[in-house]
Amino acid sequence: MKKSSNILFTVLMYSVMAFTIVVSVFPIFWVIMSAFKTNAQILSSPFSLPTSISFDAFAYLFEKYNFVKYFINSLIICTSSTLVSLLIFSMGGYVIAKFDFPGKNLFFALFTITLLVPAQAKAQPLFGLVMKLDLYDNIWGVALVYLSMGLAMSMFILKASFMAIPKSLDEAAAIEGAGFFTIFWKINFPLAKSGLATAGILMFLNNWNEYFYASLLTSADDTRTLPLALQFFTEAFSYDYTKLFAALTVVVLPGILLYILAQEQVQNSVASSGIKG
Amino acid sequence: MSGPYSREKTMQKKISTNTIQTKYYKWIYLFLTPSILVFLFFYLQPIVTIIYTSFTKWDGFNHPQFIGLENYQKMFTNSAFLISLKNLVAWSVIAATLHVGFGVLVALVLYQRPKGWKLTRAVFMIPNVISAAAWAMIYKFIFKDDIGILNNFIRVFIPEFHVQWFYESPYAFWAVTFTWLFYSVIVTLLVLNDLMAIPQELSEAARVDGASKWQVIRQIHLPLCRNAIGTGVICSITARVAMYEQIALTTVGGPGDDTMNIPIILVKSIQDLKYGYANANGVIMFLLGILTLVAVNYIFRMNESVY
Repeated sequence: MKKSSNILFTVLMYSVMAFTIVVSVFPIFWVIMSAFKTNAQILSSPFSLPTSISFDAFAYLFEKYNFVKYFINSLIICTSSTLVSLLIFSMGGYVIAKFDFPGKNLFFALFTITLLVPAQAKAQPLFGLVMKLDLYDNIWGVALVYLSMGLAMSMFILKASFMAIPKSLDEAAAIEGAGFFTIFWKINFPLAKSGLATAGILMFLNNWNEYFYASLLTSADDTRTLPLALQFFTEAFSYDYTKLFAALTVVVLPGILLYILAQEQVQNSVASSGIKG
Repeated sequence: MSGPYSREKTMQKKISTNTIQTKYYKWIYLFLTPSILVFLFFYLQPIVTIIYTSFTKWDGFNHPQFIGLENYQKMFTNSAFLISLKNLVAWSVIAATLHVGFGVLVALVLYQRPKGWKLTRAVFMIPNVISAAAWAMIYKFIFKDDIGILNNFIRVFIPEFHVQWFYESPYAFWAVTFTWLFYSVIVTLLVLNDLMAIPQELSEAARVDGASKWQVIRQIHLPLCRNAIGTGVICSITARVAMYEQIALTTVGGPGDDTMNIPIILVKSIQDLKYGYANANGVIMFLLGILTLVAVNYIFRMNESVY
């Protein structure tokens, strides 16, 4: 009795794991595999492996379309917005973590309650703001909106990591004659690097994958980001499946590679964001 | 550390912190200003705007005209909006049960640390680092009739099988559901985090007392990660309120209004220059988010300690 129940338990456990792995990677594997097949092969034998490896579809994409440009747009927008917001929110998180001043709790509450605002609910006012700044169809307009997105989450993470840095270090530096800015920049900022990495990775990934505001705030080809390119490609070659799959592969791969490089950090980031979420 | 020494140190600390503080008020507010500006321009101003203009007729060029509750009346008599609400309820129930349930199940399995649990955890994360837009497209292909793996698989058994999952009622609703149903890695990581924090002695004591594995899971593990599960439910329901790519890139709300939801209506209203109406939809989304938080907090008694 006991033994059979144990076997059942083990079988169930491994079935759940197998299922999880299959739903997570099989679709992506299928997409990548199909990008190397001909259109006829995709239609006639969707499960088979490609008979020969052909990079034609990829070559075509990079030749005919500004794929490199979309990639660079994504990279510029995400890197700049992530770095600027990290700086802004770490300054805010730092003073909230380390000092007492009038309005401290109010500000922290206001910053973190923004977590409750669905991004799309603010669509029209932010659209209006970007129009007013004359940044429509400009990658800096998208970057500007993105830099505001991680406010609540970053405040949580950064405040906690600055609080973990002993105050005695600040005092020692103050006695040595270091000013406010030096204490922040030379002592606290470097020591908070794991919190900064966590918040940074989360914001970067969110921005990298963001679709809603990118589609709302741009329309031209040379301001397109990678996620947006997808929509455009379905329209451009609706029955040329090889190219569609190749386009999907190109859009999906950078995120996966980034994840593989920083796997542990990403997992920790997501876990900690959820706790606060 | 010896007593007198550390007391001296705390006193010294108190004095110097205070001096740092008064000396640096200017700096403190200077450091806070950028964050405050972000809050004002990207959160407060938009929210005040959507609330105020949701009571007006506004095309973005002329001044907003106050029309009272007309936008809301229009919403609640508009069939597309009502279907969106119905869909949201259905999707939220599916998210809170099947989606979160799957995430918890995976967490419980990984917690037993079977061979390959770390690999599974790492792989399960992959769908989450890919954009929802790409994921929607992938499912669009999976469910496609001619090339999709699903129909080709079914045709092995039923040769003449043809269904356009994303374009036929009632399948479209489920096709959209499948684009996110299994991808609950956040729930898994949250619950796993809480499970790892459970003192080993607790489960061991129960095992010694003769409890089976199932009993330990049901009576000890699950109740103790109540907070993580509650947080998971909040995250996944608010994600349903804000679900956009999964619909915009597949069905665009169709067939008919079968898969309509509020963000789709909102974007369409902006494109039609019905800003007042768009913002009334935004207000409803905002309220739904708060409602979810309050309701789930209450149901899961999340403010009470678990131990």
